[in-house]
Amino acid sequence: MHPLNWAIVVGWLAYVVVHGIRRSTGTKQIEGYFLANRSLPWWAVGLSVMATQLSAVTMIGTTGQGATDGMRFVQFYFGLPLAMVILGVTLVPFLHGSGVYTAYEFLERRFDAKTRSLTAFLFLVSRAMSCGTIISAPAVVFSAIFGWSIAWSVAIIGVPAVLYTMIGGVQAVTWVDVKQMMLIVTAIVAVTITLLVQIPVSPSDALHIAGATGRLRVFDFSFSLTNTYTFWSGVIGGTFLMLSYFGTDQSQVQRYLAAKSVDEARSSLLISAYWKIPLQAMVLLIGVLVFVFYQFERPPLLFNPAHERRVRAEQPAVYGSLESRYAADVAARDVAARAVAQARDHGSDADAAAAMDRYRAQQAGVDTVRTEALALAERVTGQPSKDVNYIIPRYVLDHLPIGLAGLFIAAVIAAAMNAISGELNSLSTATVIDFYRRWVRPVASDEHFMIVSRAATGLWGIFACIIATYAVNLGSLIEVVNRFGSFFYGSILGVFLLSMIPRARASGAFVGLLAGMAAVGAVNFGAPSVSFLWHNVVGAVTVVVVGMIISAAGRVGGGAGPTPARV
Amino acid sequence: MGATMSDDASGARRFRRTLAAVMLVQVATLCALWLLQWTFSA
Repeated sequence: MHPLNWAIVVGWLAYVVVHGIRRSTGTKQIEGYFLANRSLPWWAVGLSVMATQLSAVTMIGTTGQGATDGMRFVQFYFGLPLAMVILGVTLVPFLHGSGVYTAYEFLERRFDAKTRSLTAFLFLVSRAMSCGTIISAPAVVFSAIFGWSIAWSVAIIGVPAVLYTMIGGVQAVTWVDVKQMMLIVTAIVAVTITLLVQIPVSPSDALHIAGATGRLRVFDFSFSLTNTYTFWSGVIGGTFLMLSYFGTDQSQVQRYLAAKSVDEARSSLLISAYWKIPLQAMVLLIGVLVFVFYQFERPPLLFNPAHERRVRAEQPAVYGSLESRYAADVAARDVAARAVAQARDHGSDADAAAAMDRYRAQQAGVDTVRTEALALAERVTGQPSKDVNYIIPRYVLDHLPIGLAGLFIAAVIAAAMNAISGELNSLSTATVIDFYRRWVRPVASDEHFMIVSRAATGLWGIFACIIATYAVNLGSLIEVVNRFGSFFYGSILGVFLLSMIPRARASGAFVGLLAGMAAVGAVNFGAPSVSFLWHNVVGAVTVVVVGMIISAAGRVGGGAGPTPARV
Repeated sequence: MGATMSDDASGARRFRRTLAAVMLVQVATLCALWLLQWTFSA
């Protein structure tokens, strides 16, 4: 990469660390460190919420998915606006109004200590592992592209984020998130404009070419429990997932607990409701435009340079033959794509349709060679190709102008740091508030809790970096943990839904939580093809139904627990 | 007490307005995406 690009990346990293530390005023008490003394404006909280969910996987994985699979992934977010509105009316006033530090602390006030501790423990396990994978995904890509060791790639992403989060707490996290969101949106817009300039046909022709391969097909109205990306999966399953994520996950809840008031907390969530779908569509559109760009520019046969080097070294004859076929097919496709634009601009409808058919046939030929090359790479390396994650980085480094490439790489690192810092801050909060202060040291000075909080942030950061460094070898373990995570996400939502029903009792909540996780486990093992989006629906509904039955049985049997505390 | 109720009413009114705006933006976004698909995927 050009030295100017490196200067931009290094300059940005230095800037965010300094900025984060400078914004850490008022963090001498734990309320300041964890909740910014509940003083943050709604727009900063809202941008921070969006930044925490927008990881490097979005910048390189989702854009890559746009290039290979098109726009249909955006359906995944169709439930988000509805979920934000439901949360604004239900959980947000409860949580913000109760003056808690964590969502799980609220559950003890409403139910009992064991429900709080179990939900907080499940959060710590899943988020710590996910934090590792969030660092690992871009680190693996950077390692393959720049030839760095995995440990070095992890350090570049992880160390600055751990540093400013540890020192500055939620203030540093929020204000750095705001700046980094500006960088990310600027990079997305700049790359989109650059692509439109670089593609040698009009935007309308470019979109017709993308549409001819199905990449602009957004809506799929089929009802399928096994397909994640359909309209109904997005609206129904997605609503439950987003309710779970934004309503019960401390990494999100902590953001809006730091808002000045309930109204500001609600408004902060509505920023995501407004902007998430358009932003995600824009990210996918970048991928679609990169696909069109490579119709007129020869793309690599394998985008992952590490795999390409290895396959070329170990299977030179087979790979050479594939490359020859690929070169011929790509050249023919280039001619066919230009003919589409020519026919659309100057020919009849019949000419345009015929040109489109010829183009589709050439594209199918190119796809066939790529599929063979990917299968060869998997055989040679023994790893899944994951070539989709390398499409955008290769485009950025090979074709973006100097300066803009640095801006985009800085935006990818920024996205990773946003997600990590929010999660580290919430991991530290749950550790200190839900375990250390609850069970180990209920009374101590603020100085003491501050030292423990910073140490917890640092230790979770080190843990996440270790997981990220070894994530390549821990692949199956991480999959198990992620699958385990999907067991209880909807179930925890169910417990929070129960907390708003006056007749629900502590015994019902705890047994309901266990029943919800068991039900999701049964669906997962009994019908593994069912999309994970539906797990949240199963978990939440089971917890509410079982929880209410147990609560009612407790009342009938006279064994009712204590009256729920008012919140 | 009266001021609190008035604040609540004003907050609720603002929230309803924002809610209507969010829904309007979502419908507009979905229409734009549908138009994109309909125009270019034929």
